[in-house]
Amino acid sequence: MNAILGTPEFLLTLAATLLLLWDAISNPTPRLLGRISFAILVGLFVYVIELDPKMNKTLWSGIYLWDAEAKFFKLFFILTSILVVWSIRLLESKIEVAKSEFYIITLFATAGMMLLSSVQDLVFLFVALELVTVSFYVLVAYHRSQTASLEAGVKYLIMGAVSSAFLVMGSAYLLGVTGSTHFDAINLALRSSEMKPEILFGLALVLVALFFKVSVVPFHVWAPDVYQGAPLPVTAFLAVGSKAAGFVLLLRLLTGPFAGEEVAGYWIPALAFLAIASMILGNFAAIPQRNLKRMLAYSGIGHAGFLLAGIVSNFFQGQAAVLIYLCTYLISAMTVFIAMSAYGKNSDSDHISNYAGLSRKSPWIAVPMALGLISLAGIPPCIGFIGKFTIFIAVWQSEHYVIFAAGVISAVAGLYYYLGVVRTMYWSNPTDMEPIEISFQTKIVLGLLSSSILILGFWSYPLFSIVNKIFLF
Amino acid sequence: MNPLLLLLLIPIAAIAAILWLPQICPKRITVTAFIVNFVISLGLFFQFEPGHGYHWVLKYPWFHLTNVAQINFHLGVDGISLMMIFLTTLVSLTAAWVTSKKVKRAREFFIYVLLISLGALGAFLSRDLFFIYIFHEFALIPTFLLIGIWGGQNRQFASIQMTLYLALGSLILLAGIVGLVLTQPLDSRSFDLEAIQQIHVIDDGVQKVIYPLLLIGFGILISIFPFHSWAPTGYASAPAAAAMLHAGVLKKFGLYGLLRLLLPALESGADYWRPVLLVLIIGNVFYLGYVTMAQKELPLMLGYSSVMHMGYLFLALASHHLVALTGFVLLMVAHGVSAALLFALAGEFQTKTGETRIASFGGLYTHAPFLGIMFLIGSMASIGLPGLANFSGEVLIFFGSFKSLPWVTVVCVWGVVISAVYQLRAVRLICFGTVSEVTAKLVDLSTYSARFPYLLLVAVSLWIGINPQSVIHLVQPCIESILNVGGR
Repeated sequence: MNAILGTPEFLLTLAATLLLLWDAISNPTPRLLGRISFAILVGLFVYVIELDPKMNKTLWSGIYLWDAEAKFFKLFFILTSILVVWSIRLLESKIEVAKSEFYIITLFATAGMMLLSSVQDLVFLFVALELVTVSFYVLVAYHRSQTASLEAGVKYLIMGAVSSAFLVMGSAYLLGVTGSTHFDAINLALRSSEMKPEILFGLALVLVALFFKVSVVPFHVWAPDVYQGAPLPVTAFLAVGSKAAGFVLLLRLLTGPFAGEEVAGYWIPALAFLAIASMILGNFAAIPQRNLKRMLAYSGIGHAGFLLAGIVSNFFQGQAAVLIYLCTYLISAMTVFIAMSAYGKNSDSDHISNYAGLSRKSPWIAVPMALGLISLAGIPPCIGFIGKFTIFIAVWQSEHYVIFAAGVISAVAGLYYYLGVVRTMYWSNPTDMEPIEISFQTKIVLGLLSSSILILGFWSYPLFSIVNKIFLF
Repeated sequence: MNPLLLLLLIPIAAIAAILWLPQICPKRITVTAFIVNFVISLGLFFQFEPGHGYHWVLKYPWFHLTNVAQINFHLGVDGISLMMIFLTTLVSLTAAWVTSKKVKRAREFFIYVLLISLGALGAFLSRDLFFIYIFHEFALIPTFLLIGIWGGQNRQFASIQMTLYLALGSLILLAGIVGLVLTQPLDSRSFDLEAIQQIHVIDDGVQKVIYPLLLIGFGILISIFPFHSWAPTGYASAPAAAAMLHAGVLKKFGLYGLLRLLLPALESGADYWRPVLLVLIIGNVFYLGYVTMAQKELPLMLGYSSVMHMGYLFLALASHHLVALTGFVLLMVAHGVSAALLFALAGEFQTKTGETRIASFGGLYTHAPFLGIMFLIGSMASIGLPGLANFSGEVLIFFGSFKSLPWVTVVCVWGVVISAVYQLRAVRLICFGTVSEVTAKLVDLSTYSARFPYLLLVAVSLWIGINPQSVIHLVQPCIESILNVGGR
């Protein structure tokens, strides 16, 4: 019992529930609630770091696994959430109603993501995933007087429902064939009996559901509309948190129960194809976009392709590369999103043309944003290069040369549109020279993020020492 | 303190100074930093004891790439990298010096110039492939911004074309490097240059794959025919400092990489692909030579001419001969110096007159004798007049490669005639004749301060041209060790 009370997810859910009650009873100001949520997350971050590092412990009759990878992802999600909650404060004035709940629902979504990193059972997976998805249904449609936000909400709702249906159906198949929903039991059943097509069918259904979440081609069509319509912090949370949540599940499933050669022989070619399609389509479709959120949605599809390529490279290098890539993506993408939020406080930050001449109006926003974009493009010495580099090495080592070639082509295409934004910020003449007010706090956060892009890009030791602890034997 | 680390820290300190001390003229900070760097590199040059092996070595373990290899921050110079460092500091200094301090958005401009110089220095100083790659890519975005913000005609297109081309080249190169590193067995695998040079046996089939990746990857950075189209347009629209640094230094990085990686490790790959390389060389010298002749604008002509001269360097690589490869290093330095001189002059003409067509100039010699003489010397160096550095490099290459590749060498020597045709025509049209309206807008450089960078470049070219032995005795032992390891 004590062990359950001590899990970070439980603490976070409890805190969020208490905040919700407090908000209902005494109506604190949203600003205060935001500060408290921020403090809770920071506290939780420290708590998880300090948490008993005794690995491979299972709780709740074996469905909750606490290992090094889970710890890594929990910290990842908390960090994402810290940055998201912080950026909500920047744009608080744009939220029309129920400002306080915005923070609280974000906390619930975070708790769901953290649970996902420990999942060892298909039913539990479904529950945790729904906690994330339902929270996002609300968050995406939060600007309820704007049609774009409502449209995004409806689309996300329909797509989410469809993907949940796939997940349930797939789980049911797997339960029917193997007699269990627990990963270990599925693993055992797969090893002891001969290969059955039903298993592949069930696995395919489950994977389709996850592909919706990480927006891999051809399950990506919702992403641009939803990213565009959702409030900016939610877009950031979807782009980083939700995507990483999908990938932790893919890693857990494909390197766990379905890692055996018999099954892997089927899913590796399929995923390789999807990885190539996502890299190429995502990056090329981003080129004509004039709306920055839409562009980032397509580029996110491209990044999902790179991450899938890491999973396909069925090696420890591949898994390690996925983790490294996610870290670099977190830092780079959040820098861009926070810079957008800082700019969007007073003006419309969606269209690329609005950024014309930003470098002269406000270097404090333009420099971090340019660094973030260049890092997403994967140019050294920015941190994004380290992610691409590790993925490329893993891909080469597993001899998927076609993926490598597709990665090279799409990286160049990616550079083209990322540089397009940099060009607008640095070359074009600003339409007005009204200086943009930035608070001291914003400067510190943007400064920290952009210096970590450069420093970790050049001195990647911390990144690798964390990941090596998980994967070096 | 390790002098090599100092070379890297000084540009960083200068960038910090520009950021934190806005009241001091950024040009002054930059030029001071580059003078210090140039003096350090001169000191290294005179203290260097010829012989193989690396000097002033500095090595820190950096991080362990999961299950792949240990990566070290590893600096060190041998004779070849010493010459490249010398070239880099020289061209950086002159490039910053010839730039007007009143250039728009001056602080940004000089920060980008410093970054390019830092990247080039790091690439030539590093001995770990990972860092060589990272440092080289330092220059990509600053070059993009330099051309895009301060460029001349057609800058939008030129900057994006150049950046994408170079990024593609770098990624192909990355594939080659990854492939090369992964051929080593896991327990001894490393990104260290020396370890790569000592790989004795790589499977022939693998060599056949990795060789073209490295050749095309580096080749795009060097602008080998037919991947050259970014270079002339890019140089033509770049501000003088960017064109000098890129044509003078960054392009040489690709050649340096080929010398370090292709020669020692991939011999049978080289044999297999040699016919293709020879066709590219002839294309480079001949096709591009004739294209250069057709150019009407000075920056474009210089851009094509600098691309065309890369053919000689590839000839030396293909010949795999000690003398030719010594000439290769000499010509790299010599070409860097002469290209920097000519691009500096073209930049001076363009900013003062706003005109680029060769035919619109005339009478430069009578109107502005100093600029006229400098242009004459630069042109002569570029053609390969004895007494100037390019000649000694080209001669060594032709002598060395004649033995193994007689016919291609004979064809390439014809390139000297081609370059004489277009370069002399440019000299006739620009320097002689009556003073045209455009030339009248030029003001001759009268102060020592303004003349200094040009004189420095000419002095270096003359010094190497008259006394090539001073470079050869540094370079030759390193080439020997590269070739010996390769098994010849």
